[in-house]
Amino acid sequence: MAEAPKLAKITVDGRVIEAPAGIPLLQAMLDAELDIPHYCYHPKLTIDGSCRLCQVKIEGMPKLQISCNTQVRDGLVVSTQDPEVALARRGVMELLLLNHPLDCPICDKAGECWLQNFSMRFGSKISRGLEPRRKRQKRIDIGERMLLDQERCILCRRCVRFCREVSKTYELGTFRLGDRTVLDIYAGRRLDNDYSMCTADICPVGALETKDFHHKVRVWFLEEVGSVCSGCANGCNIHISTYKNRIWRLTPRRNDAVNETWMCDAGRLTYKAVADPQRLRIPLVAANGTLAPVDWPAAIAAAASAMGDLQKQHGAAALGAIASPHLSNEESYCFGRLLAALGVEHRAMAVRRGKADDLLIKAEKAANARGVRELGLVRGADDGVEELLQACERGVVRGLYVCGDDLLAAVDRERLARILGGLELLIVQVTTLEDAFKSAQVVFPTTMLAEKDGTVTNHAGRVQRIEQAVRPPDGWLTDGAIFTALLNHLQSREEKFAVPEIWRALEQDGTAFARIRFAELGAYGAPLA
Amino acid sequence: MAIGVVTVKRPPERWSSSQPYFAILKGLGVSIRHFLHNLLLFARGQQDFTVHFPEQRLVQPPAMRGMPVLVQMDNGKERCVACGMCEWACPTNCISIFPAETNDEVERYPEVFDIDMSRCMFCGFCEEACPEEAIVMSRQIEIASYSRRGSLWHKQDLLVPVAELKTRLDHLRRQYEH
Repeated sequence: MAEAPKLAKITVDGRVIEAPAGIPLLQAMLDAELDIPHYCYHPKLTIDGSCRLCQVKIEGMPKLQISCNTQVRDGLVVSTQDPEVALARRGVMELLLLNHPLDCPICDKAGECWLQNFSMRFGSKISRGLEPRRKRQKRIDIGERMLLDQERCILCRRCVRFCREVSKTYELGTFRLGDRTVLDIYAGRRLDNDYSMCTADICPVGALETKDFHHKVRVWFLEEVGSVCSGCANGCNIHISTYKNRIWRLTPRRNDAVNETWMCDAGRLTYKAVADPQRLRIPLVAANGTLAPVDWPAAIAAAASAMGDLQKQHGAAALGAIASPHLSNEESYCFGRLLAALGVEHRAMAVRRGKADDLLIKAEKAANARGVRELGLVRGADDGVEELLQACERGVVRGLYVCGDDLLAAVDRERLARILGGLELLIVQVTTLEDAFKSAQVVFPTTMLAEKDGTVTNHAGRVQRIEQAVRPPDGWLTDGAIFTALLNHLQSREEKFAVPEIWRALEQDGTAFARIRFAELGAYGAPLA
Repeated sequence: MAIGVVTVKRPPERWSSSQPYFAILKGLGVSIRHFLHNLLLFARGQQDFTVHFPEQRLVQPPAMRGMPVLVQMDNGKERCVACGMCEWACPTNCISIFPAETNDEVERYPEVFDIDMSRCMFCGFCEEACPEEAIVMSRQIEIASYSRRGSLWHKQDLLVPVAELKTRLDHLRRQYEH
């Protein structure tokens, strides 16, 4: 364990603050919840000192100092309320606003713009500008997912440092000198890295905008819910922004144990699947050779009786199951209970794999593969997929309960079609009905992470809360509710799917989750071991 | 007598105020007097005090707040840039806007701009919030319709040429001059 850093005592506006020696003074003041305006400083980037807005008066120094580039040491006496400081801030704000376009009504940043906020609080109420504002290029297409507006840029160079230090792709830079300086991409380059949309988050103004959120919703209409990204096993902490029961964007939420303040572009666009028009919205049951829409209780009854009939004919071993890495820990636990009640031994989990890198992106493209393994639902290096498929081919397994779409991506399509075609019973729980699953007897629509409460476990075994951001339609059964309803049907009982009760059961069963208290998870989650 | 009770000396009840029939007749008398007065003037072909709506209409002062409308510029397009300030300011949530992008100099316009006139209460907050002078309170007050759907006014119904709104726009500028 690293040695605890030495604490230094500093005095800010007469208040004594303790902070680790050597950290930026600005950070120490922000941690003490002081309201210090700043643009270029970002806790996860190096210090640039280009905005000059965080100036403070320090006793013993002849001029005002920028607090981001002053290190905390014992005995600093700082004043942030001095008239000299207020004058300096007003001067900096005036220069920043001198050529800033009056774009606020059409700027996507309006409402969460640092320039707006700080000029309201620290700037001047009137403009003394006489000359027309400088014209620059607007709406420059600088990447597949990004737009640049040079007029709005205040040259804090956060994005430049991001591309140098975090994504290490070096696409952005500032060109020319003095008041002709502009932010641009290097010749022949495009801002197309896997983390390009993070530059829009850290941009304090609306200079860098994502094409995805461009002219969509004003930010003050958005409601934010803390959740976890469903894109890969890394489990990046996110805010889901919703308006009118629809998701409009995902933004990273700071969690130094997982994703710091970043997230990848692919993860950011996963929300589109929630409102996908192709998505299955109603359960289907096979009748006269086609799949017909039915109501939820009828589908539950059909699935339960079909599974019961199969086992009566061929014994308990004839039913196999494929767990989904997209379900929450609680739902996976319910699925495990259902399988135990049915006596299902042939179990597997299919996970779609893709590209990975050293920063955040993980190969497993699902949020909760680790959670399913920790619950003991599946075993083996490939999570039992090959074993289950061979059991199907041998004719030992005659019926399958498939959760999740990932099976299609994890197994060779032709082989899968042959196996699924030869089954006597196929029950699937998917987001969209692909051709491969058309031979199913019962099809349940599955629920997205953004539509339910619970927890997921990331690749490193960190259990994190997810919260419902959008409501599914009335009468909809979430995955956990489907499993509970099936179990109710099989055992003639009346139980409801409730997350806190599942956690009580997880404790009593002595699972890997027994050490964790659901109520104490908080915003940042807790590690399993 | 209980403590703290004061007997107020009231004037004696008058016969006229205690008799409701008389009060009714007194009220009717006013109406009849006006009626006869107008009738007489009408018969003589002289002055007529009644405005025969809808054949005749009064010219309302520019301060009048009728239904909110969108200002249409001379090129036929709306001034509105779909910033959503009116939607936010509206106390009855009767405005709903969906923005879209164009290649014009002003890159943003409302693809959908709906006002539910059955909910609008003519407070004029939308006009006050608008940074572009794009939504103003007109003198139009005839917003009755035969169905609820008819009360939903779309962008095309709401557009009014800027020339027709000149008096209101001048009035607004006078308001904010100081």
